[in-house]
Amino acid sequence: MGAAEGLPGVDPRDSDIDRSDVIDVPLGETRRWWSFLASDTAAVWTARILALLIWQMAGSAIDRIPTPIEVGEFLVEHADLLLPNIWVTVQTAAVALTIILVVGTLLGFAMGRWWPVRYFFTDLVMVLIALPAFIWALLAVMWWGFDDIGPIFVASISATPILIVNTRQGAQAVDGDLQKMSAAYNVPVMRQFRKLVLPTMSEYIIAGFRFAVLAAWGAILLVEFFGSEEGIGFQAAFWYDAGSFTGMIAWGFVMLVVIVAIDKIVMEPVLRRTRRWRAETTGWSM
Amino acid sequence: MSATPSTLRRPGLRIGGLAGRISGRGVARVALSLLGGLSFLGLWAALSEWAFEPFVLPSPFAVVENMVALLEEGIVAEAFLKSLYKTMMGWGAAVAIGLPIGLLMGRFRYARAFFHDLVYLLANVPLVVYAVVSLVIFGISDIGPAFVVMLLVLPAVAINVAAGVASADQGLISMSRSFRRDGGTVARYVIIPAVLPFLLAAARVTFADSWKLEALTETFGSSSGVGFQIHKAFTTFSVLDALSWMMFFVIFIVIVERVLLAPSERRIFAWRNPGAARDSM
Repeated sequence: MGAAEGLPGVDPRDSDIDRSDVIDVPLGETRRWWSFLASDTAAVWTARILALLIWQMAGSAIDRIPTPIEVGEFLVEHADLLLPNIWVTVQTAAVALTIILVVGTLLGFAMGRWWPVRYFFTDLVMVLIALPAFIWALLAVMWWGFDDIGPIFVASISATPILIVNTRQGAQAVDGDLQKMSAAYNVPVMRQFRKLVLPTMSEYIIAGFRFAVLAAWGAILLVEFFGSEEGIGFQAAFWYDAGSFTGMIAWGFVMLVVIVAIDKIVMEPVLRRTRRWRAETTGWSM
Repeated sequence: MSATPSTLRRPGLRIGGLAGRISGRGVARVALSLLGGLSFLGLWAALSEWAFEPFVLPSPFAVVENMVALLEEGIVAEAFLKSLYKTMMGWGAAVAIGLPIGLLMGRFRYARAFFHDLVYLLANVPLVVYAVVSLVIFGISDIGPAFVVMLLVLPAVAINVAAGVASADQGLISMSRSFRRDGGTVARYVIIPAVLPFLLAAARVTFADSWKLEALTETFGSSSGVGFQIHKAFTTFSVLDALSWMMFFVIFIVIVERVLLAPSERRIFAWRNPGAARDSM
């Protein structure tokens, strides 16, 4: 994560493969009816329908795999469980992400700004990034049982380092010459911060925060799965223990839908806003 | 107002030989980094000594002793080899499937739109969902972890190969066409050299995550490997064993990243951005 700094190579979660990348090609002069089939919209929907069909076929062919229809029926049947459990997990995530945002940006900024701080924490952050969330989750269950502190602790300790690394890169990307010039012309510190430091760093912070949201979400689900009495992760574990693969897959589907919704509705627009001052996007798209 | 890091970054005294690498900043750097590690260990030792019972939080010394004992037992190497084997199987499958997808995505607009959602979705699936899927489809088996590692690595391979194809020199390609070079020659001398570094970048980006996912899937349902051992520590309620395996885990990832991936990456990309200041993290 944040590994290939300054080198080519794309992290699929970070690339600009959002909807803005897929724009319909204007149809050619000869508007034949089938030319629509070659458009991007047609391609996207063909892929979606094909994926559903393949899932359905796999489900009918193999007993263990539930079909999308069964999963849909399960979710309708247990619709009253959906909102309360999603709410519990989202609430936990909100608390954890507040902690992550405050600690991550402050420490990341300090590491980028002052080199003694950077060298003091660099290896510790490296180790924390290398640690998998699920071991923390198991430890949290052993330490606190079903207590609410478990998910928040695990989410914070596994997602904050990601934000720290990104914020640190942002703080180091601030134009040094402009800063020296500001100092020479006695620009007030607050103004420097607002006009120079913040615009540079915000892009890095938001990009890192997007990863952190994903990591925190996964971490909370893990703790809920291993030891909790409510939440989306608990529901998946509950239906697994009840021997219902359909229930387990259905709740796994909920985990995915909620995080994709958060990413699309909240994170992506914010990320695009922080990048709007750039002349061109930095994605791999041609 | 202190100067920015970039203005402070000046080369060490160039006297030659070893002395050239030693500067005041370098010494401070090593000292601070050691200080950071030691203060963390100190905090840990203090907490286990005064704040918690030893079975809740064993001291770092007890953990090291336990690690040595586990090493002598021989189960560490066995578990890591087993997990590495499964990860590599998943990796091989991901390259085999992701490479053609990436080539198509880099070449055809239609393919890019077609695989767009798949790549985005696979990259955003929480790891626990992968583990659940593996458990449902394969139950307790060795294929499950390999399968989900494949799913996790696939988008990184596809999108990096696509970026590699896009980065291939268009001038060279049209020149080859003018001189009537056949497709095989163009692929060999233009496309593959452009794609290969990106493939390695995909390895670099996904290595830690794929390893974590592999162990997690083993925790959910497996009878061998690192994740299985960690799960055993959990079911026997042994914080000591869990912390020991955690340390092995970190040591393994740091060694692979620092000793294998980072140097090979620097060598492969040396021609790309000469002199790029890379403040190591």
